[in-house]
Amino acid sequence: MIYVHQIAAVSPQRDLLVETIDEVNESVNNILKVVEPPYEGIPLSILRRMGKAVRMGVGAALPLIKNTTVPLNGIVIGTANGGMEDCIKFLNQVIEFEEGTLTPTNFVQSTPNAIAAQLSLLSSNKGYNITHVNRGLAFENALLDVWMLLKENPSHTYLLGGVEEISSYNYNIDHLANWFKDEEVSNKKLYHSTSKGTLSGEGAAMFIVNNDPQDAIAKIDALHLMHAEDVSEVKSQLIHFLNKHLGKGELVDVFLSGESGDIRFVSFFQNCEHHMKDSTIARFKHLTGDFATVSALSLNIACQVVNKNILPDHLIKINRHKHSVNTVLIYNLHKGVQHSFMLVRK
Amino acid sequence: MENEELKHKLKEQIIKYLNLLEKTPADIKDDQVLFGEELGLDSIDSVELIVLLEREYGIKIKDPKEGRKVLVDVNTMADYIKEHRTR
Repeated sequence: MIYVHQIAAVSPQRDLLVETIDEVNESVNNILKVVEPPYEGIPLSILRRMGKAVRMGVGAALPLIKNTTVPLNGIVIGTANGGMEDCIKFLNQVIEFEEGTLTPTNFVQSTPNAIAAQLSLLSSNKGYNITHVNRGLAFENALLDVWMLLKENPSHTYLLGGVEEISSYNYNIDHLANWFKDEEVSNKKLYHSTSKGTLSGEGAAMFIVNNDPQDAIAKIDALHLMHAEDVSEVKSQLIHFLNKHLGKGELVDVFLSGESGDIRFVSFFQNCEHHMKDSTIARFKHLTGDFATVSALSLNIACQVVNKNILPDHLIKINRHKHSVNTVLIYNLHKGVQHSFMLVRK
Repeated sequence: MENEELKHKLKEQIIKYLNLLEKTPADIKDDQVLFGEELGLDSIDSVELIVLLEREYGIKIKDPKEGRKVLVDVNTMADYIKEHRTR
């Protein structure tokens, strides 16, 4: 297990546990863009060169690093695409200027590891520094990496994070591939939609984690990743996961589902929900939209839910809330193939 | 007047190429040292300025010694552009 000590996020919402649906920021043209903070603490000379992914990642992580009282032994980030917008700008320049003199900034900012690297430079952290880019399981693989690092080095503390930006290039390609909806659907009515595709989102979520239970706000008790296209296989893996990680007679208080409004994948979530008969069923993608590392934002939500013991009504699909929330099981699905379970406890 | 117009346009281009947030052309003086503390430019910015000269004015600076003489302030850049521009 891993203990979470600090969390921060840059997301399409000012607060991921916003109290009412009226306060939820609405999508525009099926896109939920982040509400960017003032980014205090990042020198202006550095900020002006940052692409959006780097800006969001550094903006979310830097305050955590500054607040951490124990030395940070490493920075582990998950991002499927990194700074895709700057990458495309750079590639377009190669064509436009016929492979002549090229400006380096877009190239430097566009590599996925620019986020972890910039954090290392800004905080003078010379520890472990790595970026996982495993598409829809990039954040989960970052978490798995930290998990193994903490087994090897039980006294260490790490910064763990997930970041993704919307680039027009990626949005257009994914839209053509039917991953986003053709008709305009508001995020506030996302789960009523009966068409294929979902809404595009972006964001960054950062966590300071270690093995120390003292003053922790939550603990990540178990993690499971899988590739599957078969609904029954996912359900059987869920049953196996619960049998392995829950105590006898123990129940999950909240099942936080990554249901995305894509009619093609509703059966995955319904099958899992049928097995969670005693749990409150909640959903979060109307707050975040969908993207490869959205599970990092879902982990932020789960940590807040167990820590503050609040679950706003607009997240709830089926309410079976009987007592305080001690256990949240997150189930996320990316593009119908990459699945993950994360068990979060108080 | 032509010279003043060129300098104003050059300042706008410097702000655009270097993404100098919160700066306007009025904030950059003609004789203000570009790589001093006030503007806070660095070596990466010098490459951006060389790219600016090539793309906007068709000027290729290949000799670093020449670059050091040109990229001093807006005045030196404007003088060099007037003499060497191909577009």
